[in-house]
Amino acid sequence: MHRLGGVGIAAFDRQSQQKRSFAELSTEISQGQVDLLHAQLAQFRSALAHYAATHRDSIRDDPQFRHAFQRMCTSIGVDPLAGPRKGGWWAEMLNLGDWQYELGVQIVDVCVSTRERNGGLIEMGELVRLVSKLRGVKGGVITEDDVIRSIKTLKPLGAGYEVLDVGAGKKMVRSVPKQLDADQAVVLAIAQEEGGRVSETMLVQRRGWTHERARAALENMLLRDGLCWLDEQDPEQGVAYWVPSAMQWDE
Amino acid sequence: MTTSMSTHTTPSGYLLPSIHSMPPFFTQQPNPATQATVTENWTRLILSYARHRRLFYLRVEDAETKGSEWDEVLRNERINRRLMPSHMSFIMADMVSKNLAVYEPPRQTRTVLLHWRLPEEWAEVLHEWASSTAQLNTILTFYEIIEPPVPSPLSGIPATLLRRAVAILTKTNRAQVIAVADGEGVRFLPGNPAR
Repeated sequence: MHRLGGVGIAAFDRQSQQKRSFAELSTEISQGQVDLLHAQLAQFRSALAHYAATHRDSIRDDPQFRHAFQRMCTSIGVDPLAGPRKGGWWAEMLNLGDWQYELGVQIVDVCVSTRERNGGLIEMGELVRLVSKLRGVKGGVITEDDVIRSIKTLKPLGAGYEVLDVGAGKKMVRSVPKQLDADQAVVLAIAQEEGGRVSETMLVQRRGWTHERARAALENMLLRDGLCWLDEQDPEQGVAYWVPSAMQWDE
Repeated sequence: MTTSMSTHTTPSGYLLPSIHSMPPFFTQQPNPATQATVTENWTRLILSYARHRRLFYLRVEDAETKGSEWDEVLRNERINRRLMPSHMSFIMADMVSKNLAVYEPPRQTRTVLLHWRLPEEWAEVLHEWASSTAQLNTILTFYEIIEPPVPSPLSGIPATLLRRAVAILTKTNRAQVIAVADGEGVRFLPGNPAR
């Protein structure tokens, strides 16, 4: 009988010898892999740095380019804002973190300063318009997508900022933690179409609601949420409700 | 369809804020938080318009009947709205509670004297005017201050407000009230505002 490993005490020696050799080889191989990875990473970093240097301004100033870039990041599973440290080196290199946070601060500024008149609900187009105004010409063009992305970055603050879809492609941003029910969403959608004005009759005629349901929805928005204002001098209905967040304000 | 809330310049050259073109701004709001916004905006508007036109009094009648000097503000013909008298009484009461106006005469609630300058501020304006026009140490009648030959920042100031301003200056020895032939006079004295 012939064993590969041999027999007796010598076999132990040989075995441990083999183990050592394998361990050495394995270390060598993984070291090689690690080195390779380091090299790749270094290359990636320099490529990224190059990319950042070439395109940073475009990313910050050109909304179309920014969106293409963000789509690319999503498709390869990279979050340009995430990282081990605050912002991460990806964000650091692109300065996109600062850009995004700055936009976030401006969004909060507009939401808070308009809150007393709109009850904490603002139409997306209006928000974009006011934020753009705040940024001035130098801030570059910003779009709805940028605002939505920034609001996502505000989430950890727990301030309750949320983008609501009120139908017909219209979006609103809510800056107070209040729950909107389905009926209120309908009221907001109509207000959007009508430049801010909603009446009980409108809801009855257009949505087939009962008067009670229409009145309840409007009264809740008026008294409980402060999302609309009462107009007792409406020439058509006598009484109408106005949703400031659905009105366009030229300051 | 978009109704745009925009500013508007009145015939008297006053720039109305955009909220003035918002129809519900003219209705008293049942939600206290919303009404606080409404009241605050009306207060600011009333005081700034009063300063623009040098109006000193606001009366409930100004909201009741057309043709008052307040029409440009209390009415918005472009959207066919007007401030209702009861709503205006509410706003006036709030202004009085914040010392931005006083009921004048006292013990009624239909007329207020507006404090677009506080009596303390009028006192400074008054003393500044007297010293810059070299009238310190001379005796001036109230009439000469209210209707000066050369228009001054004090022109047309109601006597009651003037009296209050003079009283503030006497406390810091910067004015003395003196009886003169046809009523009251005042002598302004140099001196620094007491701190």
